[in-house]
Amino acid sequence: MESASVAVGQAEPHEHHGPPEAHQSSRIDRQTLGILLFIVTEAMLFGAFFASYFFLRVVSNEGPWPPEGFELPVAVAGVNTAILISSSFTVHWALEATRKGNRRGMQMGLMTTWLLGSTFLFIQINEYIHIGFSGRDGAFGSIFYGLTGLHGAHVLVGLLLLSFANIRAWRGHFGPKAKDHLGVEVPGIYWHFVDVMWIIVFTVVYIL
Amino acid sequence: MAVAIKQPGLARGALGFIVGSAFGFGLVVALRAISGLEIFQTEQTGYPHLVVPAITGPLGFLVGLGAFDYWFRWAAGRPTIPEDHSQHGAKSWRDYFKFNTDHKVIGIQYIVTTFFFFLVGGLIAMLIRAELAQPGTQIVDPGVYNGLFSTHAAIMIFVFVIPVFAGIANYVLPLMIGAPDMAFPRLNALSFWMLPIAGILFLSSFLVPGGAFDAGWTGYAPLSTGAPLGQSFFNLGVQFAGASSVATALNFLVTIVTMRAPGMTFWRMPLLVWANLSTSLLVVAATPFIAGVQFMVLFDRVLHTNFFQAAFGGDVLSYQHIFWFYSHPAVYIMMLPGFGIISEVISTHARKPIFGYRLMALALIGIVVLSYTVWAHHMFVSGMFAWLRVPMMITTLLIAVPTGIKIFSWLATLFNSVLHLRSTAMLFALGFVTTFTIGGISGVMLGMVPIDIHVSDTYFIVAHIHFVLFGGSVFTIFAGIYHWFPKMTGRMYDEKLGRVHFYLTLVGMLGTFIPMHWVGMEGMPRRVADYAAQFGDWNLMISISSFLLGIAQLVFLYNMIVSWKWGPRATANPWRAKTIEWQVSSPPPIFNFDEIPRVVGGPYEFGVPGARHAIMGGEEAEVRKPEPAVVGAAGGGGGGSPGERGGP
Ligand code: HEM
Ligand SMILES: [Cu+2]
Repeated sequence: MESASVAVGQAEPHEHHGPPEAHQSSRIDRQTLGILLFIVTEAMLFGAFFASYFFLRVVSNEGPWPPEGFELPVAVAGVNTAILISSSFTVHWALEATRKGNRRGMQMGLMTTWLLGSTFLFIQINEYIHIGFSGRDGAFGSIFYGLTGLHGAHVLVGLLLLSFANIRAWRGHFGPKAKDHLGVEVPGIYWHFVDVMWIIVFTVVYIL
Repeated sequence: MAVAIKQPGLARGALGFIVGSAFGFGLVVALRAISGLEIFQTEQTGYPHLVVPAITGPLGFLVGLGAFDYWFRWAAGRPTIPEDHSQHGAKSWRDYFKFNTDHKVIGIQYIVTTFFFFLVGGLIAMLIRAELAQPGTQIVDPGVYNGLFSTHAAIMIFVFVIPVFAGIANYVLPLMIGAPDMAFPRLNALSFWMLPIAGILFLSSFLVPGGAFDAGWTGYAPLSTGAPLGQSFFNLGVQFAGASSVATALNFLVTIVTMRAPGMTFWRMPLLVWANLSTSLLVVAATPFIAGVQFMVLFDRVLHTNFFQAAFGGDVLSYQHIFWFYSHPAVYIMMLPGFGIISEVISTHARKPIFGYRLMALALIGIVVLSYTVWAHHMFVSGMFAWLRVPMMITTLLIAVPTGIKIFSWLATLFNSVLHLRSTAMLFALGFVTTFTIGGISGVMLGMVPIDIHVSDTYFIVAHIHFVLFGGSVFTIFAGIYHWFPKMTGRMYDEKLGRVHFYLTLVGMLGTFIPMHWVGMEGMPRRVADYAAQFGDWNLMISISSFLLGIAQLVFLYNMIVSWKWGPRATANPWRAKTIEWQVSSPPPIFNFDEIPRVVGGPYEFGVPGARHAIMGGEEAEVRKPEPAVVGAAGGGGGGSPGERGGP
C-alpha cells in the first residue's frame, strides 16, 4: 500500500507538488471549530433523548416518578459524578503542561484522566448490574438506560480519543506550539463536553 | 483478485463487508448462547442476527475500502504517511470507485450516485402510478404497494435530494470561495461512501423476510415498532444517510468559516455559499433528532424497550414530535441549497446583480431560525396538545415571509433583464420560481389549521410536497446540473435536448401534480393502493402525465451521457459568470489554483463598470493597466475589465 502510493507520487515529478496553502480566514483553526460543531451535533442527539424523557415523565406518566418499584442509587452515582468532574481538571492540567512544554506533566495528566474516566465507566457498568431493572421494564427503564447508556457510549468514545492522545504523548508527539498540541486540546474539549453532559444527565435523571 | 485484496479498494471493501457481517453474526450468536437465549430470534421485529450484521458489515466495508487507514495510523501513534496526493484527482473512470479525497472527484461521485438512486426511486414511482391508473388493484397487492411508496419517498429524500445538493456544493463551493479543497478531505470521502450504504440498505429491505419497510418515509411509531424486519433496514439506512449528511455539513461549515480567500468577507460570498452555510447549520443541529428517534425505534424493535409502547408507559406521540423537529427543518435542508443555485443561475443568465443581496442572505438565516419553530404543523390532527396548534399556525405563516422575500427578489432581479430562453439552466430556474410559488401557497394553506384538518392525509398533501420537492428542489437540481455541467466535465451539453427535457418535464410535472390538489380536496386518501371509482378519470390523467415525466428524464440521461463523452469542449467561462469557479479552466486543475485568488468585490456586479469579483493568481500586473471598461448586459460583463471599484 505504501509502496504503491509512493510510486504514484513519483510517477509525475514535473507536476505541481501540491495545492496552495489555503488562506486562513478566521482566527479559529479547523480542528477546534470542527470539534465544537461536532459537540453541537452531539448535544442535539442528547436533546432527542431528553425530549423523549420529557414526554415519558411529564406528558404520559401518571403517578410518582420514578414509578413504584424503581430506585436509583443516587449516592453511588454522586461519587461517580465527582470522579468524572475531577477528570476534567486533570485533562486541563495535561493541556497546560503541554503548553508549557512540561512533558511529564502532560503524560501524567493524560494518564490520570484516562484512569478516572475508566473508573467512571467501570462503576457505571457495575451500577447497571446491581440496579435491579432492565431497559425492558417500563418506559422508565427504557429512558434510564437510554440516557445513561448514550452518555456511557460517549465516555467510551472520549476514552478512545484519550487513549490515542496517551499513546502519542508517550511517543513524544506533542509540543508547546499551538499547532503541535491540538492532539491534546481537541480530545480535551470533547472530554469537557462529556463531563458537562454527565452533570446534566445526572441532575435530570437522578436528582430532579 | 489476490492482488486487489492487498490494496484498499472495492475488492478489499467486499472482503471487509463479509468479515464485518460474519463478526456481527458471530457476536449475536455468541452473546445469545451465553445468556441462554434462543439463538435465532425470528419474531417479526427481532432478527438481531441480521440487524447487527447490517451495521457491522457496512463498517467492515468502509474499513476495507481504506476509509480509516489514515486515522488508524494516527491513532496508533505511528508516523502517518506524508500526503502524496495519491488519493487526489481522477485519471480514469476507475478512480471514481476508490476512496478519493479530492472534493471535485467526490462531488462527481455524489452526483452520479444520487442520480442513480433518483432513477431507482423514479422507477418505483412509475410502478406506483401504474397501479393507481385505475381503481381497484391490478399490478401489486396492497401490502407491496405500501412498501413501494415508502421506499420511493425514503430513497428520494434521504439518498437523492439531500445528498445531491451536498454533491453539487462539494464540487463548486471550495472553488467559489477560493479554497484548494474542503477542510477535512478524508472526512469528506467518508461522508460520500456512507451514502451508497444507506441506499443499498433501503433497497435490500425488499429481500428480507416480510418485505420492504412499509410505514412511510415518516415511519410513525407504533406502526414502525411492530413492523416486519424491513423497517430495521429503514432505521439503519437513515442512520448512515444522517451521519453522512452531518459530516458533510460540519465540513462545509468549517470550510466556509476558515478557508475563504483573502478579501472574501461574508458579504462578498456568493449566495450559493450562503445557502450551504444555512443548510449546514440546519443539518448539524437538526439531524441528530432523527438519528435519536430512529435509535429509539430500533431499540423498541430489537431490544424490546418501551419508548413508544403505550401499554408500558411509553409515549406514542413523542415519536412524531421528535421526528418532525428534524423533518420540518429537513424540508428546508432540501430547499435552501436550491435557493442558492437559483440565485447563481438567475443572476448569471439574466446578467443582473442580485436584487437585495444582503436581504437574500438574511432571509436564509431567518428561515433557519424559524424552521425550528413550526414542527407541529404536521401534527394538527394527531391529538397533540391543543394549545400548540395556533402558535404553530402563526409561525408557519411567518416562515412564508422570508421565503416570499426570496421569490420577490428573484423576480426583481429578472425585471428588465434580457431573458435568454434558450438557456436550459435559466428555463429550469424560471420554472422553479413558478412551481415553487404554487407549492409555497399550498403550504401556507396547509399551515392554517382548519384547512389542514380537512385535507390531512389526502392527495392534497401529495400535491404540496411534489410542488415543493419536484417543482422546487428537483428543478433547482436540474438548473444547477446544467449550469455547472461545462465546469464539471469540460464539455458542453446539447441545449436543444436540454430545452426538450425542460418542456417535457414542466408539462409532465404540472399534469401529474395539479390534479392531485383537486382529488385531494375531494378526499382521496394518500398512501392507499385503491380509491373510490369517482377519482378514476383524474387518476388516469395523472398516471399518463407521470409516464411523460418519466420519459422526459430519459432525454436528460441521454444528453448528459452523450455530452460528457462526446460534447464539444467547454471554455473556462461559457456563461461569462463572475464567481471564482468560472475563472479557472473547465474542468478545474487538479489542485484548483496555483495561487489563492484575491477577492476584491461582490460576486454579482454585472453591468457595473470596472467591477471585479476576484483577481486570480498571476493576474496582478494586467490589472493595473488602464483600459476602457466594456460593460453592459450583452457585453463583457464577465471580462477582465479593471477599474476604480476593483482595488482591495
Ligand atoms: C412556505 C413554505 C411552506 C409551508 C408554509 C409548508 C407547510 C406545510 C404543512 C402545514 C404541511 C403539513 C401537511 C399535513 O401533513 O397535514 C406540509 C407538509 C409537507 N411539506 Fe411543506 N410547507 C412549505 C414548504 C415546503 C418545502 C420547501 C418543502 C420541501 C422542499 C416542503 C415539504 C413538505 C413535505 C415533504 C410535507 C409532507 C410530509 C408528510 O409526508 O407528511 N414544504 N407543509
Ligand atoms: Cu413542515
